[in-house]
Amino acid sequence: MIETIELTKAYGKVRAVDELSFTALPGRVTGFLGLNGSGKTTTLRMLLGLTRPTGGAALIDGRPFTGLKRPLRAVGAVLEQGISHPGQSGRAHLVTQAMSAGASRARVDLLLDQVGLTDAADQRTGDYSLGMRQRLAVATALLGEPPVLILDEPANGLDPSGVAWLRELLRSYAHAGGTVLISSHLLAELAQLIDDVVIIANGRLRHEGPLAGLYGMTTGRVLMRGRDPGRLRDALRRAGAEVAGDETLEIDGLSAAEAGEVAFAAGVPVHELLTDTPNLEQIFLELAGT
Amino acid sequence: MLILMRAELYRMATIRSSWVSIALFGFVAAAFGVLDANWWALFAGVGAFGISVLTVAQHYQHRTIALLYLARPQRLPVLFAQVLTTVAVGWVLAALSGITALLRWGGGTYRHTLIVVPVMAVFGAAAAAIVRRASWLLIGFAVWIVVVEGLIGKLDGELPISAYLDAARGDMFGLEVFIFWAVATLAAAVPFLNRDLSSD
Repeated sequence: MIETIELTKAYGKVRAVDELSFTALPGRVTGFLGLNGSGKTTTLRMLLGLTRPTGGAALIDGRPFTGLKRPLRAVGAVLEQGISHPGQSGRAHLVTQAMSAGASRARVDLLLDQVGLTDAADQRTGDYSLGMRQRLAVATALLGEPPVLILDEPANGLDPSGVAWLRELLRSYAHAGGTVLISSHLLAELAQLIDDVVIIANGRLRHEGPLAGLYGMTTGRVLMRGRDPGRLRDALRRAGAEVAGDETLEIDGLSAAEAGEVAFAAGVPVHELLTDTPNLEQIFLELAGT
Repeated sequence: MLILMRAELYRMATIRSSWVSIALFGFVAAAFGVLDANWWALFAGVGAFGISVLTVAQHYQHRTIALLYLARPQRLPVLFAQVLTTVAVGWVLAALSGITALLRWGGGTYRHTLIVVPVMAVFGAAAAAIVRRASWLLIGFAVWIVVVEGLIGKLDGELPISAYLDAARGDMFGLEVFIFWAVATLAAAVPFLNRDLSSD
């Protein structure tokens, strides 16, 4: 389990992360979302012991990262679009990392195969594409077969097939009981993958809960187009709605059925009537932008 | 510690530019050893400094230090492993490149240099852990040698490189002074280790 408790990071008077508390549970994929500069990467780096918190705690299975006995066996991480020495081959990079962590080198070829880099294993990572570097980063994270994965924008640079591959990998990981925390500034990118969502803005928590809960957070508005927009507008306003727009009326305060009844009673033919439900991205932007 | 040293040596061995540069530098140092044993001693010291700086600072340059700290979150043992690795590589480079000086000028400078070269590696690795940028450190080192210790100090004082050269000539006091500089730099590096790692 991943947990932050009133986690804070201040740079002078600026609070990059401000008393942030959230939990990512085993067996679930948790999306960690926020616009660029919202404090996502700083939070993840505090979880991984790379940045020191100013206050609060960042815990993995109840311990700070620096207190883990065999960290690579406890947590796998993907950071910064794939870190590696550009002069080293993909295979040598993984072997070095396995040696540093005291992990088995036996998994190196298996992982290269799993991430689809077998053919490029002896190529310098400096010659890798961004997508290949991301795949190598995922292989590095999986070296120690950790039960917890922390990934900072891992889909950056992946083509659609790569994104599908990553989605399948992480879903199966969570299905096997793993804890996955994945950050992004695009909810749409994660919508098909995550179970839970944590949204932050300006370093503060804006929303935490199951993804499905986001849909219930706003009501849709009604869009209506009819033969006589002026008469329709007046009738709708008399029925208590707030109405905007000229040709296509944007109606708040009435359901589509109620607006249709009002138009019928006013004797105005309706050409189009629909409910405009905000999509996830709009809901996210509303939460993350404030 | 040994595990980390092995990993660091493997890393150096699998980066072609690393060992090619070390080999080329070794040949240049060996060539100067034919001309003058003191020149070879200077090159051996500069080589040990360069290896140690590049070994430590490249981790920050390419941000692989983050991977190292993810594998080993306790930063002090990581630094010590890097120091020991650079001591070993710097010493082997000096020992091999100095064969020409040994054959041409006898064993005095060769022996004394092999004693003081590990101290230079400690000095360089510690300085790199503080500065974290190889180019700044190497340029600063060159300017320091030429301007401060060379032109101003005439290589005759208790500053690091002058002390190194004295030690390489067999001066025990020079060795003590240089050990002091290396230990002081290492001590200064320890609190710097806990600084945050920048993401870019």
